[in-house]
Order: sequence, then C-alpha cells, then structure tokens
Amino acid sequence: MRNGKPIIQVENLRKSWGNFTALDGVSVTFNEGEVVCIIGPSGSGKSTLLRSINHLEPHNAGRIVVDGIELDDDMKNIDAVRAEVGMVFQSFNLFSHMTVLDNITLAPRRVRKWGNEKAEKVALELLERVGLSAHSHKYPNQLSGGQQQRVAIARALAMQPRVMLFDEPTSALDPEMVNEVLLVMRDLASSGMTMLIVTHEMGFAREVADRVIFFDQGNIVEQSNDPAGFFNHPAHPRAQAFLKQIKHAA
Amino acid sequence: MIDKLKDRDALTLVGSVLGLGLILGFIGTALAPLPDPIGPAAQQFADGALTTIELTLVAGALGLVLGVVAAVGKRSQVLPVRWLADLYVWIIRGTPLMLQILFFFLALPAIAPQLQLSEFWTAVLALSLNVGAYNAEVIRAGIAAVPSGQIEAARSLGLSSLYSFWDIVLPQAVRISLPPLANNMVALLKDSSLAYAIGVVELTMASSRVQAESFRPDIVLPTVAVVYLLLTTTFTQFAAALERKLAVGKR
Ligand SMILES: Nc1ncnc2c1ncn2[C@@H]1O[C@H](COP(=O)(O)OP(=O)(O)O)[C@@H](O)[C@H]1O
Ligand SMILES: [Mg+2]
Repeated sequence: MRNGKPIIQVENLRKSWGNFTALDGVSVTFNEGEVVCIIGPSGSGKSTLLRSINHLEPHNAGRIVVDGIELDDDMKNIDAVRAEVGMVFQSFNLFSHMTVLDNITLAPRRVRKWGNEKAEKVALELLERVGLSAHSHKYPNQLSGGQQQRVAIARALAMQPRVMLFDEPTSALDPEMVNEVLLVMRDLASSGMTMLIVTHEMGFAREVADRVIFFDQGNIVEQSNDPAGFFNHPAHPRAQAFLKQIKHAA
Repeated sequence: MIDKLKDRDALTLVGSVLGLGLILGFIGTALAPLPDPIGPAAQQFADGALTTIELTLVAGALGLVLGVVAAVGKRSQVLPVRWLADLYVWIIRGTPLMLQILFFFLALPAIAPQLQLSEFWTAVLALSLNVGAYNAEVIRAGIAAVPSGQIEAARSLGLSSLYSFWDIVLPQAVRISLPPLANNMVALLKDSSLAYAIGVVELTMASSRVQAESFRPDIVLPTVAVVYLLLTTTFTQFAAALERKLAVGKR
C-alpha cells in the first residue's frame, strides 16, 4: 500500500505570521494509497500543514506539488488542486442553510458540472456508505455531531478526490460519537484512499496508519513506517514526552 | 411538526401578498360608502396607495441590489472600491432624505440635462439610493456573521470565490439580515411619502389634496393613517413569515 507513487510533495515549506513561524521548512512526500497519521502537541503546525496543502493558507516559501500541479498564486491551479483534495474539518463546517443532500451535491454540480440526477445518485450512495441514508433531507442542525461529521466526509468524497485530509475529525465530538466517525474512516482507509489524518486518537492511528509523523514546533521531528513500533518506542525525546503525556491524560 | 409550521408560514406568505393585492384592489370599494369627505375621494386614496406601493416595491428591489453591491464593496480588498462604498453610505446616511430627493429632482437635471426622469422615477432613484445605503450596513453585518469555516469548506471543495459567495455566503447573509432589512422596507414605505415634495401623487399627496378641498383634516388624516397602517402591517407580517420559513435549518 505504501509503495504507491508520490501524490503530494512538500519541499521546504515555510509559513509564518509576523515573526511567528508556524511551519519551519517542512519537507515530506505522501504516496498514493498511503494512510498517514500526523500527531503532535497543539500549536505545532499540524493544521497549518494540512491547510497549506489545500491552499487555505498561502505559504511563504517552499513548494507544494499535488498530483503534478504546483500550488502557486494561479487560482486555476489552486481550484484544480482543491477539487482533487477533500478536507474534513474539526468543526464539520456543513452549510447550515442546505439539506444534507444539497451539502453533498453542491460542489459536484458546480465544479464537476454534473447534472442533478448524477450528483444525487452519487450523494445517496455515499450517504448509504456513511450510514445516513435516512437523513438526506434533514438540515445540519437536526443531526448529532457524529452524523454531521459523517455528512462532511460524504461531502468531500462526492468530489471523488485523490486525497483526503482530516484535521482532528473527532476532537469536537462527544466521546460516544467518536467511534461512528472512526468506523467510516477505517472503511475509507481499507478502500485504498490516500489519507492524511491529524488526530489525537492514538489507538486509531496505530491501527490504520501506514506511517506516523510526529510534529513539533513547526517541523517533523520523527516519522515511522512502523506505527506499533513508534508508539511503543518513540525515538525522539520530544515524541517520548508527548506520548507519555497523552497516556497520562487517557 | 416542522412541516406544519412551514405550511402555516407559507400560508401567511401567500396570504400577505394576496392581502396586499386585496387592500389595493378594494381600498376604493371599501372607502366609497363612507360619508363625505372620504367616500367621494375613495378613488384618489386608492390610486395614491397604489403609487405608494409601487414606489416601495421598485425602490425596495433596487435598494436590495444596491445594498448587496455596496456591502460587498465595503468588504473589498481593493482600497478604492472600499472607499467608494464607504463614501456612498456616509453621504446618504449623513444627509436628509428630503434633500436627496430635491437634489435628484432639481440639481441633477441642471448637471445632466440629458437625464430626463419623470417625478416617479426621480423618487425611485432617490429612495433606492437611500434605502440601499441602509441595507448595505445591514447586509455587511450579515455577511460578516456567516461562519468562516463554511466558506473555507466551500473553497476546499474547489468552489470558486464567486460560487462560494453566491451559494454559501449570500443566502445566509440575507437570512441573518432579514429582520433589519424588513425594518428598512417599512421605513421606505413611510419615507416614500416624501415623494410628495416633488409632485408624485402617492398616498400622502392624495390625502393632502382631499384635505385641502374638504377642510376636514380631522377626518382625512386619520383615514390615511389607517391605510398606511394596513400597508405596513401587511409588510411586517410578510417579513415575519418569511423569516420563520427561512429559519428552518438555521444552526
Ligand atoms: N491565522 C493565524 N494567525 C496567527 N497565528 C496563527 C494563525 N493560525 C495559526 N496560527 C498559529 O500557528 C501555530 C500553529 O497552528 P496550528 O497549525 O493550528 O497548530 P496545530 O494544528 O498543530 O495545533 C499556532 O501557534 C497558532 O497560534
Ligand atoms: Mg490543529
């Protein structure tokens, strides 16, 4: 699985606000079909990295190439990359004035130029897949957090992206709803989707990740293609300290 | 439960539009049997009310478009665009509406003689520019209240900034702004009485004429007040129903 071709190349990526540096020259390559979990303390730049890959944050220096398209200031390239990269946010961000179905069909209709029929057919299949077939005509405020996040995943998948980015997808959920979302993500991982997941769910990361990346102070401090090995015996002292802290909290 | 609510609101919506039509259609008939000085002048009241509604609806629609444009201008990254929008709102909100109406009636033809507008359209121009400036503030606040996460989600799906605005921001901004926008519309309906100053025969002008002929302000003016109240109440009912109807699915 982790032997796929490179699909996202990040080279020497820098991002700062004023004189605060959030990403300090990050270089990393993600391969097709790979599931990568990114962990690390809060404020270390994990979200900024994911948001840069979608150009929600323009970077200050370095290069990002997604599926052969370089993210520069060309809006065409940016929209092209965004169409191929799905993003799931911590706070769901469903369109609150639209039904579940409209949330999912909007982008395929607008961006992919699909007709209503095709867009709805795909949307209903995805709703089935995330276990929400019965809810297609509800509004986001009529759903639980876990249900909303599953809709958000279906919405991103409807664009048939090559890569899915997840930024702490379960952190805003009540504990009893975490599993229903992880279940959907597990299913997605086993289907061969390329996934970058920022998460604090260490058990989940250990189970689904092909590679774990430990982030701290704006850069990758340690990465491992052996998640179980990493979680049992992290090499870097900061990773050791972080994992110890997490274990104590749990 | 929700469906029932929706239905009742839909009924109020249709009802208030029909109601407005009925009021306009039957004002003459309703007033005709009344004693002097109202009965004989019933048709004048009816025509005046119709003109008032026409002024309000046309200027209101234009004012809504102007409001959206100016609100977007106020949030523009391009400095001169922002200045222009700010200047517009500043001038309109800082000067009396009566002065603005007189300006477009008296000064504009002197500045641009080829722009020959009728009294009615001069009033529409002044009123829509006026209500547009007030709408701009309201819509700007509405746009700012749309959660930025939803806009990011739209962009991350590959939607252009135009589609994100059209599909995500604008519908929610208008919904959030609806109560104050409705207030502006009601204010506009009442403000349209100032068109009287440039000779538009709207409801206030009509009543002034009847009053002058009959010397019965004690009867004529309260009658007109009742007609205005009927019209403004229909507007507020419509706005309230619309707000409830659109509120479905909000947060
Ligand atoms: N828009 C912004 N303006 C200023 N600082 C920001 C902004 N966004 C993020 N940061 C800062 O960048 C750092 C990295 O943030 P983030 O990538 O969100 O961290 P993480 O996701 O790892 O918790 C944090 O210290 C945060 O305060
Ligand atoms: Mg984060």
